[in-house]
Amino acid sequence: MDERLWNILVDSFPKMLEYGVKVTIPLTILSFALAMVVALIVAMIQYAHVKVLRQICRFYIWITRGTPLLVQLYIVFYGLPKVGIVLDAFPAAVVVLGLNEAAYMAETIRGALESVSAGQLEAGYCVGMSWTKIMWHVVLPQAMRTAFPALSNSMIAMLKETSMAATITVMELFRQAQVINGRVYEPLALYIEAAVIYLIFCTILTWLQHRGEKRLATYGGAKA
Amino acid sequence: MKKMIALMMALLLALTAVSAFADAATDRLAKIKESGKLIVAMEGVWQPWTYHDETGALVGFDTEVAALIAEGLGVQVEYVETDWSSILAGVDSGRFDVALNGVGYTEKRQEAYNFSDIYVYSVLVLVVPEANEDIHTIEDLKGRKTSNSPGSNYAQMALDAGAEVVYVDTLGETMEMLLQGRAEATLNDKDSVDSYLSEHPEAKIKIVQVMPGDPVAIPMKKGPETETLKAEIDRILEELRQNGKLAELSIKYFGEDLTKKQEAE
Repeated sequence: MDERLWNILVDSFPKMLEYGVKVTIPLTILSFALAMVVALIVAMIQYAHVKVLRQICRFYIWITRGTPLLVQLYIVFYGLPKVGIVLDAFPAAVVVLGLNEAAYMAETIRGALESVSAGQLEAGYCVGMSWTKIMWHVVLPQAMRTAFPALSNSMIAMLKETSMAATITVMELFRQAQVINGRVYEPLALYIEAAVIYLIFCTILTWLQHRGEKRLATYGGAKA
Repeated sequence: MKKMIALMMALLLALTAVSAFADAATDRLAKIKESGKLIVAMEGVWQPWTYHDETGALVGFDTEVAALIAEGLGVQVEYVETDWSSILAGVDSGRFDVALNGVGYTEKRQEAYNFSDIYVYSVLVLVVPEANEDIHTIEDLKGRKTSNSPGSNYAQMALDAGAEVVYVDTLGETMEMLLQGRAEATLNDKDSVDSYLSEHPEAKIKIVQVMPGDPVAIPMKKGPETETLKAEIDRILEELRQNGKLAELSIKYFGEDLTKKQEAE
């Protein structure tokens, strides 16, 4: 490798890593937190068969899973201002990424909830627990253990989806690679470098997932 | 299922109806002065118009012109960087006040945007792989494959010449397409191609046609709300022409004064 290319790689790594740490990671964490909350609520509404809300939830899941993330980002950031809703770039990215992933995660959690045998609920009622108490102490813990690998999957996927935020002007890791490329024109090297940084982040998440599964397994239930 | 489809149709209709009314005319210039900032959209990956130097700072011809315009308006400049199609989408929706990105002033675009006066003339070049022998002018592009950004006037010129356009995002990618043989030609700004060649003098590409005098202006959202903004920007641009600052910037980034229309060679 010639000196120029090496210098470019060495110079650009900290710059890209900086955006990875300052933007990509916070974006992932915030969006995932939002997605988790929304997904739990939506899954539980369906599990509990709440009359009207259940239809609304299914509608939301249908539309969100049925349209591409890129289109959703465009609609929220460039389209909504036309009807008076103007969100800043970063918050818009959090909202769209969060709501988008939540639709998929809601289905994961719903499946996990339904996999917990109905006997658990009945047993809870028998000893006089309320529905909420049963959910919190009995059903959810078991369901979340089942859902854990799939939800980790969602988080890892979300980390990479953050690269779409560049289309709504969020300067993040991938866009930074394009910015540097706009000056030195070494796309292969720079994009591979960006990929490596994403890989480092995802490896950390995967390791965390592995640790999490091990810990959950010590209580019985789904084996790691 | 049917109920959901009906519900969705109703929602969409409602949204479109509301958006028809919601575009109430507000004066954009007043809004800018009130918020104290001018939101300028640009790519940030296109040397020497808008790009980041080794320190990472945003520089370029358009970057500095935008700063001068904001100064003339008495507000701060706020740069927003994104890809070309998003820039157009943003100006359309009023998300961005203006876009300064060497935007070509074409008839077709006039219908969609309010443009400022022309402030510089870009020199267009037709670039092909070194080994190519049969493409010499734009007319030769008929039936050939070119590589350009969607929505760019370069893409439009190629389409008008009868070429098939493969869409990419940035100049770097366009050059890769040429070198890999995935595109047979590309149209772009001469100074941008020159900046590529200065980084990669060994690249096997060549310029076959030079077309000076491509007018560049600043697009704004179409409609009465940007009338006063356009008037102010035009006034500032004229001032910059008079005091030589515009020509100075042109020489700094393009090596020559491109602010007056050049004659075709």
